[in-house]
Amino acid sequence: MKTKFVMSGIVIFLISTGFMAMEQPKKPWVAPDKSAKMANAVKSDANSLKEGKALWSKHCQSCHGKTGLGDGTKAAQLKTEPGNFTLAATQKQSDGSFYYKIAEGRDDMPSFKKKLPEAEDIWNIVNYMRTLKK
Amino acid sequence: MKKQNKYFLFALRSIGFYLLMMLSMEASAQDVVADSTAPAPVAKKKAVKNTFESNWIQDNQSVMVPIKGTLEMDIQHRFGTVNKGYKDLYGIYAPSNIRIGLSYAVISNLQLGLGFTKDRLQWDVNGKYAIVKQNKTGGWPISITYFGNIVIDTRPKENFVTDGDRISYFNQLLIARKLTEKFSVQVAPSYAHYNNIEGFLDADGKIQPKMKNDHFAIALMGRYKLTEKTNFMVNYDQPLTQHPMNNPHPNISFGLEFVTSAHAFQVFAGNYQKITPQSNAYFNQNDYTKGQFLIGFNITRLWNF
Repeated sequence: MKTKFVMSGIVIFLISTGFMAMEQPKKPWVAPDKSAKMANAVKSDANSLKEGKALWSKHCQSCHGKTGLGDGTKAAQLKTEPGNFTLAATQKQSDGSFYYKIAEGRDDMPSFKKKLPEAEDIWNIVNYMRTLKK
Repeated sequence: MKKQNKYFLFALRSIGFYLLMMLSMEASAQDVVADSTAPAPVAKKKAVKNTFESNWIQDNQSVMVPIKGTLEMDIQHRFGTVNKGYKDLYGIYAPSNIRIGLSYAVISNLQLGLGFTKDRLQWDVNGKYAIVKQNKTGGWPISITYFGNIVIDTRPKENFVTDGDRISYFNQLLIARKLTEKFSVQVAPSYAHYNNIEGFLDADGKIQPKMKNDHFAIALMGRYKLTEKTNFMVNYDQPLTQHPMNNPHPNISFGLEFVTSAHAFQVFAGNYQKITPQSNAYFNQNDYTKGQFLIGFNITRLWNF
């Protein structure tokens, strides 16, 4: 019984330290050149923005916030910075770069290429993200 | 019997109303033509999306089949009826029913799953296939999905004569249309079969069945989007088969659905407590005319592989 108790303690300790080790410092995230130069395949019209807004609300808002400030309800739990899409500095990225980051994900940012397998959906989100700039 | 006839007439009227709506309402609200100037990489979308945003519409399946590679975990909970009031906090502390299920979309349009329900210790194996999908421009005006299951009652053997008595089946066609960006409707005729149904000895000592082995029913349901992530849902189930006795009662349910990227949470009030669809169809004795409603919720968690 005592052995089981000690072993359980060791396992919990190892798992905890494992998770702590997964914390990563801030690091730049640059899309590969080929992806960054990819042209936006969907025209930013009313329909695209409507679809993009709906997808943003469902998939992005909980971390990135309703207006893209990075103040979503889950933002405080994130280990990585969710970014501020109202800033010109963030918005200077190319459409292709945004597309790549949404599709591939990194750390806390999940990959959406399987959840949103149609490219048009991701482009719609990119188009909507452009409207967040202040 | 008069009461059952009343239910049947109500069901027919409901179907008529539904069909009328289907024919009369314009679909243009969500039928936006894809931009023809878009560059090549994006294929024009055809199928209408998000007619419903979860596998579930309270106690029924929706027409939706998740995208290929989606693993879904379901937790379904039904409290007791509210009738005892404060004594059991409106059913929340009454005996409850729970189902935990897993399903996986193995290929496009096909989902397979299994689950375990507390009531009658039932294991279910189920399959769901999207036969056709409503198109944005031309093509099918409705989506049709088939759902079927086999349920095994795993209570101790003294409850059964043969092992075959443990088995029941459920088949349902889910026919839906997204009428506007916010409003979707679905009609779902179903057929359930129990290998063994309880009987009784009549005055001559002969065994008489209390119910038939086959049961037909129909369900009508609708969803209205209140916000991007919040939906109001309503559902009505009407038994069609007349049994010698123990005729099941219809079910009315209504409630809210909250949808996020990886979850759907539904909370609602309704009459059904059995969770497995054939048990609900056959054995529901909660009568809405007597206020025998209960609170239920469904939680789904999605992973994409």
